[in-house]
Amino acid sequence: MLFQQLLNGLALGMAYALVAVGYSLVFGILRLVNFSHGAVYAFGAHAAAFLIGYSWGLLPAVLASVLLTGLLGVLIDRTSLRPLRKKHSPPIASLISTIGVSTILQNLLMIAMGSQKKSFPALFDFGMITIGTAKISWTQMIMFAISLVLLGVLSFIVHSTKIGLAMRGVEQNGKAASLMGIDNNFIVTFTFFLGGASAAIAGVLISGYYQVFYPTMGFMVGLKAFSAAVLGGIGALHGAVLGGLLIGVAESLAATWMGSAYRDSVAFLILILVLVVRPSGLFGRKGITKV
Amino acid sequence: MKKSIGLLLALTLILALFAGCGGGASPSGTSSSPTASASGTDAAVKPVKIAVAAPMTGDNAEYGKSFLAAAEVMVEKWNAEGGVLGRPIELVAYDDKNSGEEAASIAQKIVSDPDIVGVLGHFASGVSMAAAPVYQENKLVQISNCASHPDYSSIGNYIFRNNTVINEEFKVIVDIIANDLGYTKVGVIAIKTDWGTTAGGIADELISASPNLTLVAHEDVMETSDDYSPAIAKLEAAGAEVVVAVGMYGLYGPLAKQYKAVNPDIRLVGVSNAYTQQIIELGGDAVEGLFAPVSFYADNPDPEAQAFVASYIGKFGSEPSSLAAQAYDSIGILLTAIQQVGSTDKEAIRDAVNAIEYDGLSGFTTFDEIGDASKIFTKVIIKDGAFIPYEG
Repeated sequence: MLFQQLLNGLALGMAYALVAVGYSLVFGILRLVNFSHGAVYAFGAHAAAFLIGYSWGLLPAVLASVLLTGLLGVLIDRTSLRPLRKKHSPPIASLISTIGVSTILQNLLMIAMGSQKKSFPALFDFGMITIGTAKISWTQMIMFAISLVLLGVLSFIVHSTKIGLAMRGVEQNGKAASLMGIDNNFIVTFTFFLGGASAAIAGVLISGYYQVFYPTMGFMVGLKAFSAAVLGGIGALHGAVLGGLLIGVAESLAATWMGSAYRDSVAFLILILVLVVRPSGLFGRKGITKV
Repeated sequence: MKKSIGLLLALTLILALFAGCGGGASPSGTSSSPTASASGTDAAVKPVKIAVAAPMTGDNAEYGKSFLAAAEVMVEKWNAEGGVLGRPIELVAYDDKNSGEEAASIAQKIVSDPDIVGVLGHFASGVSMAAAPVYQENKLVQISNCASHPDYSSIGNYIFRNNTVINEEFKVIVDIIANDLGYTKVGVIAIKTDWGTTAGGIADELISASPNLTLVAHEDVMETSDDYSPAIAKLEAAGAEVVVAVGMYGLYGPLAKQYKAVNPDIRLVGVSNAYTQQIIELGGDAVEGLFAPVSFYADNPDPEAQAFVASYIGKFGSEPSSLAAQAYDSIGILLTAIQQVGSTDKEAIRDAVNAIEYDGLSGFTTFDEIGDASKIFTKVIIKDGAFIPYEG
């Protein structure tokens, strides 16, 4: 049973990892924890389900949802965060702003699509694979693979392309970057677009796995993914994936040994421990001063 | 200059506080004044109001909206025949968001409205019990069509339950498992709420007390989670052949899907909450073979039942559950009691409700001294994507 719980934990952890990557990306470039990421993730799932409901094919609906959610990320930046940057407000104002955006988005989803749990079509439901005494489903394996691909693509963009170079430049020193001819605003917009797009992919994959979606689905997952990102070192993409896996496994083991009621507390216990013992996380750089 | 503005604002706040207190205290005094003795034309057209308090948004909105729809069907039926005491009946809906704090504040709003003569509410036992003391103190009859926690009705003599007590339901469930299914190893999975913990405990007791059954595992799960795999793995490791799932409708779909992926032969038994169309939508093929005990079944050939089902489907879009039928009956009970008493005097209404013998869609209902009703159950099973009665 322990092996099965381990596999369950890894599958669950991959779901957190997908969302955590978005947190790390935005923080890595903007030094801003984007708490609206959870709600954007829920929006992505809803957009895909909405389009599928109108008889769009699966792939077109997912691609359209990724595009729409990316645009939502851009909208959030333009309306709530750019005005704060213009005024040179303290970073905490942007943080609180994202919390507000999260609540607004969730409630808009509730009004638009109803607050009950609804059925999401199953993705990659090809059955179960048996490894020894444990079973894992094809969906979980494919989720694993897609997360690694997403991680690869995002890392490639950030480390090996010109625009990635510009993103890293903006993160190191905004003024100097603009002196070098980089359009800071465009870079920030692009970062939010990437964040939104990865949230949409996460939303579609996870909804396809559990086959339910509802407006508040981003709340708990968002918080735990944040813990995962912090554990891995917020700002480091590979750290986010590792952090997600660790939290998933920890949750699963806690459910096994202490009972399912303690699942949620484990993720937040880890968050507190990380912040007390090693705030930069596993792969993060030391010396983070901003909020 | 600044100080005097501050002082002025503080004075205004304090005065507002007193105004609020004063406003709250007076309406309970008007309850015994004879507003219903229709001597003048004013009193005659003043509607009789009944409050419906349930979750209208959130995870359990399905239930709240279904209760409202069922209540509306009954109210329309009475209004078509002239209302009650010659006055039209109006429903006032409140959204308690399935939270105890919200319910308590809604209860305060309801009791401060002098035109409301009774409350249908709430949904979850814990929430109903949070609001009940307010209704009891203000002598407003509260009928819950849904609370099944054993301690609910004993909160006061104005608190009534038109639903089964969970012990009765579990006796039927244990009977299904022992006699109809013939399994011996039973697992219990329960949601971690006030109701879920108590009901889960009662399930454990009854299963352990049953001679042929062994309780192999009991798992608590959080209502907010969609991932039940750790709990399922533990139940599997313990060798459960049949699992009793104690939760709201949102539990059954994902649970069935995740469990059937691991063990396709597992049988699931639900509580009466499980009898909703949404379970089939969320669970698909995985919920085939799910059992549940219900006090009302939509294919009941009785003409009044069919009329109710038709009107309800027109309002709500899917077939009514036993909880909806009980909501329908509860409004009927309240209106019949008011009719019998001939006024909207709260104490008289309470006595009439307690003494009533109501032949409703969810069975012949009477209330005992504590305020509990007793029901007769039908067993239903999901087959080919629909609920059918289980004769076996």
